[in-house]
Amino acid sequence: MAEFMRKVLVVEDDRETAGQMAACLAESGYAVDLAVDGNEALERGRSGDYAVITVDRLLPGLDGLEVVQRLRTTGVTTPALIISALGEVDDRVRGLRAGGDDYLVKPFALAEMLARVDALARRSGTVVKETVLRVADLEMDLLARRVRRGGVDLELLPREFQLLEYFMRNEGRVVSRAMLLANVWDVHFDPMTNIVDVYVGRLRRKVDAGDTPPLIHTVRGVGFCLRAPQ
Amino acid sequence: MLLSKTLRSSTFRLAILYVCLFGASVAGLFGYVYWSTTKYVKERYDNMIAADRRELLGTYAHGGRDALVRELSTHAATSPMDGDIYLLSDADYVPIAGNLKEWPAVARTSEGWIEFSPLDWRSNAKHRPLLRALVTALPDGTHLLAGEDIDDMSAFARTINRGLAFGVTLLCLLAAAAGISITRRTVARIEAVNATSRAIMASGLGKRIPTRGTKDEWDQLAQNLNSMLERIEGLVRGIKEVSDNIAHDLRTPLMRMRGRLEVALRARRNADADEALIAHTVAELDEVLKTFSSLLRISAVEARERTVGFAAVDLGKLAAEVADLFDAAAEERGVHLRCSAAATAPVLGDRDLLFEALSNLIDNALKHGQSDVEVSVEPDGVAGVRLTVRDHGPGIPAGEHKRVFQRFYRLEHSRSTPGNGLGLSLVQAVAQLHGAELALVEGMPGLAVELRFPALSVTDASPGAAPARAPSAAVEFDAQATRPG
Repeated sequence: MAEFMRKVLVVEDDRETAGQMAACLAESGYAVDLAVDGNEALERGRSGDYAVITVDRLLPGLDGLEVVQRLRTTGVTTPALIISALGEVDDRVRGLRAGGDDYLVKPFALAEMLARVDALARRSGTVVKETVLRVADLEMDLLARRVRRGGVDLELLPREFQLLEYFMRNEGRVVSRAMLLANVWDVHFDPMTNIVDVYVGRLRRKVDAGDTPPLIHTVRGVGFCLRAPQ
Repeated sequence: MLLSKTLRSSTFRLAILYVCLFGASVAGLFGYVYWSTTKYVKERYDNMIAADRRELLGTYAHGGRDALVRELSTHAATSPMDGDIYLLSDADYVPIAGNLKEWPAVARTSEGWIEFSPLDWRSNAKHRPLLRALVTALPDGTHLLAGEDIDDMSAFARTINRGLAFGVTLLCLLAAAAGISITRRTVARIEAVNATSRAIMASGLGKRIPTRGTKDEWDQLAQNLNSMLERIEGLVRGIKEVSDNIAHDLRTPLMRMRGRLEVALRARRNADADEALIAHTVAELDEVLKTFSSLLRISAVEARERTVGFAAVDLGKLAAEVADLFDAAAEERGVHLRCSAAATAPVLGDRDLLFEALSNLIDNALKHGQSDVEVSVEPDGVAGVRLTVRDHGPGIPAGEHKRVFQRFYRLEHSRSTPGNGLGLSLVQAVAQLHGAELALVEGMPGLAVELRFPALSVTDASPGAAPARAPSAAVEFDAQATRPG
């Protein structure tokens, strides 16, 4: 997918965590720059041409929110993923208000972080206003609210339609359970149960019915991915 | 001890200041009355004396010295003691006529007003009376003295003086006594608060300030401080519980993982086994981290400032959304999940937290009830909202009611189902944050969990406003309790 090396700036003061994040991102084809404090983050953020910046909230010197805020005031619009050990709702709202584009609570799975970065990196590209989404033989008509797989109409509940739309818009990308809850159900919490899996399971039974090659895949430890069969 | 405290207290100092100010103003008032009264009386006497002199000078002008002597002698003979004083003396101050026996010494040098107390005037009086007179030198060298006995006036002044001194003293004494008594009462009440604070510092948060049941401002202060202590104690207990929970319930899986890794470290390397072990350990660590997050989250919700970030949430719509999310899970279990909601059921709250709490309740009902689940949102009371999650499962033994809200508490028969025993703790914390009453009701069969939200008043809709009803910490346990999840 990546025609050129996309660059990610990781702002994190804990060297080991930063190293793990860098390794994970590099594995997925990103070029990674590291900044260990707020001032370095500002410098690099202003000069570099990054697809995504991840910012830890609690940094030595300059607070992570402050970094994002200053970048925004200087006209840097690079999508920012704010990472914080503070998970309360107010903190998330504050983070987004400061100019962050997404908020991830520590401790997080690296795969979850990667999924969020992927989503943000894609957002920075052009968004096409399609009326019909297509993945392999799956076709979604957004105007007629109709879904067909191999020419056969699928009967989906309204929420299932939304869920599938989100999957199709993120074709080939891993989306986490928390991302689904936030984007489809508009709630921000980490359910203690496998409720999202069960819901996706039902959608999968409708989309991948019979012996059609499966489109919706479970990604262990993170979430799901909708992609065309190879 | 109490007396020295009384004397040092600010109330007492205030009382003293008040007494001083009051005494000074009373003294000023008395002084003014004294001054104006004596001035008035003195002026009257002076006018009388001046009139007498005018008359006598008239007599002198018309009839000369002899007529004056005659007039004075007549007066002395007819009314010697009526208070009027007259004396005519020659150039050497030897009396010629009048009712004074001797020319007063003070009147020898000057003319005009004099005051004096002769020995022989009214000798029966208890003290030497004060006389006031006007001295005039006549053209023929004689001296005329016309005056009045003004002893009445000085007696009057003395009475006023005595009254003033007595009155001011009595007033100050009474005020001081009142000041001391009020101060003692105040100091005693403050001392009770202080004693409780010291007891809390010395032993713990269990102490409370005694109230007298008078419902006065002191009782109100004591009650407010007591409820504050109650809240602090609750928060401290929460923190302690969390650390206890971490010690007990998080250390166990960590120890297990540590042991597993230690064993693996000693064993010969085996790529397949190692991979399985790492995957297993990561999954288990995720569970530990999740539990840890949940604990912190419950504590954060419990300690959170009420209504911060609250907005009007339609509970009916929210319930439908949560039910929709769990629809697939119910289908998988082969049971029905029904949701009936009133047209509008607005409550003031945090949508994410309410969503999560309701998710936990529905999840519990599905997991442990193994039966159809009904979610209903209906009006409650005047403008409140009642949310009920009802199942038809086996319920819970009666003795477990209170414990199901404890962190990590799980019933015997639910140990095999996934869950960490924190679901209901979070529901309880969210309920308290929203001022909602959480109650467990016998479902016959099964059980119902009720959440009763207070009315959403107009002022509540404004940001930062207080909830309509104070949250009740008391949780009702009616019959069957629900199971923790």
